[in-house]
Amino acid sequence: MSVSQQDLDPDSTTDVEVVTDTEEELIKECEEIWKDMEECQNKLSLTGTETLTNSNAQLSLLIMQVKCLTAELSQWHKETPEVTPLTEDFLVTLGKEEFQKLRRDLENVLSTIQSKNEKLKEDLEREQQWLDEQQQILESLNVLYGELKNQVVTFSETRIFNELKTKMLNIKAFKEKLLITLGEFLEDHFPLPDGNVRKRKKNIQDSTKQLITLHEILEILINRLFDVPHDPYVKIRDSFWPPYIELLLRNGIALRHPEDPTQLRLEAFHQ
Amino acid sequence: MSVLKPLDKLPALNTATGLLVGTEDALLQQLADSMLKEDCASELRVHLAKSLPLPSNVNRPRIDLIVFVINLHSKYSLQHVQESLRHVDASFFLGRVCFLSTGAGQEHHCSIHRNTVLKLAHTYRSPLLFCDLEVEDFRATMAQRLVRMLLVCAGHVPGVSALSLLSLLRSSETPPPEEL
Repeated sequence: MSVSQQDLDPDSTTDVEVVTDTEEELIKECEEIWKDMEECQNKLSLTGTETLTNSNAQLSLLIMQVKCLTAELSQWHKETPEVTPLTEDFLVTLGKEEFQKLRRDLENVLSTIQSKNEKLKEDLEREQQWLDEQQQILESLNVLYGELKNQVVTFSETRIFNELKTKMLNIKAFKEKLLITLGEFLEDHFPLPDGNVRKRKKNIQDSTKQLITLHEILEILINRLFDVPHDPYVKIRDSFWPPYIELLLRNGIALRHPEDPTQLRLEAFHQ
Repeated sequence: MSVLKPLDKLPALNTATGLLVGTEDALLQQLADSMLKEDCASELRVHLAKSLPLPSNVNRPRIDLIVFVINLHSKYSLQHVQESLRHVDASFFLGRVCFLSTGAGQEHHCSIHRNTVLKLAHTYRSPLLFCDLEVEDFRATMAQRLVRMLLVCAGHVPGVSALSLLSLLRSSETPPPEEL
């Protein structure tokens, strides 16, 4: 394995000589170590083999570990670290390696930072866009607010109060008008059979009670419905003219009590 | 009955050789591939075996690290590993053997109790690693760990020997007594 570097040109420069010297030294060292290894290997091959079973494994392994660890410990104590001779080319190669490593690390750092930078730029752009959108929304909302503000009339309680009062008066007047119109309509088209009562005075003996108008019947029914909503039934009295009762029933304006045929109620049109 | 001995041959130049023993061929192959993908200064070689003893007619370099792969889903793999253990020389267990159990993630498939494997590793004073070899990320991490252990066992890391690595690794505590 020994390389014969002594065959070099004797006029070679000092650099080459130095290089070959260190090379030679290193190779010599390696060969010595290799020889040691071969010796150790021979010694090792002489040791016998030993297999373990589950039962004796722990104890024997622990004993072996103790022995080997103490041996290693004593070896570490004995050994002194050898420094490789710091010749110039060693230093130069080591320095070159270190610089290469440093350069690689710095390049890594540079690329990481650059990519981070780009990401940050993208984020900034995105945030800027969002901000612009939000500002646009704000502007349009402001415009809307201004427009709405102009439409709002100044708030005043008395005005509302007066408005409500007039509304109520209007509604009351309308209600009166409706009632009057209803009364007139009923009088015109559903009069009381006054003439007939006089004719049949002899036949009907129990018509002592005065018949009331359809208007009054309706009034009774309406009042009962609104006074006692849970029991809007009115007992049929003699003062109700039966045909008019039939008229109300047949047109769905009044309803009979489901269990008592002598009771009537007004249909709840408002519900 | 050939027994595997550590340091039985001179080492090859800048090479570290590992041996994976286990019954799950696919998993071993995947693990070996992940290990070989690792970036390191030395040349790595990984051998696979279903069980020991290895056939003696093959010319192989010396083994620096043996990893016994136990699949917790099959009692068969545990049996094989226990039989193979008898073909390993005692001095291998001074840091050059490691147990790796896979499949602990799926509790309902496990037919071997965790404690059994813990006890086995404790008996042989070797480190026990858990890893789900089916998941690629876990497999890659485990391959990294195994490659580092392999480099230490092959002596490629100056200052750390296999035995000192073993002492540095937290040895498995005594497993709790069997509750079954």
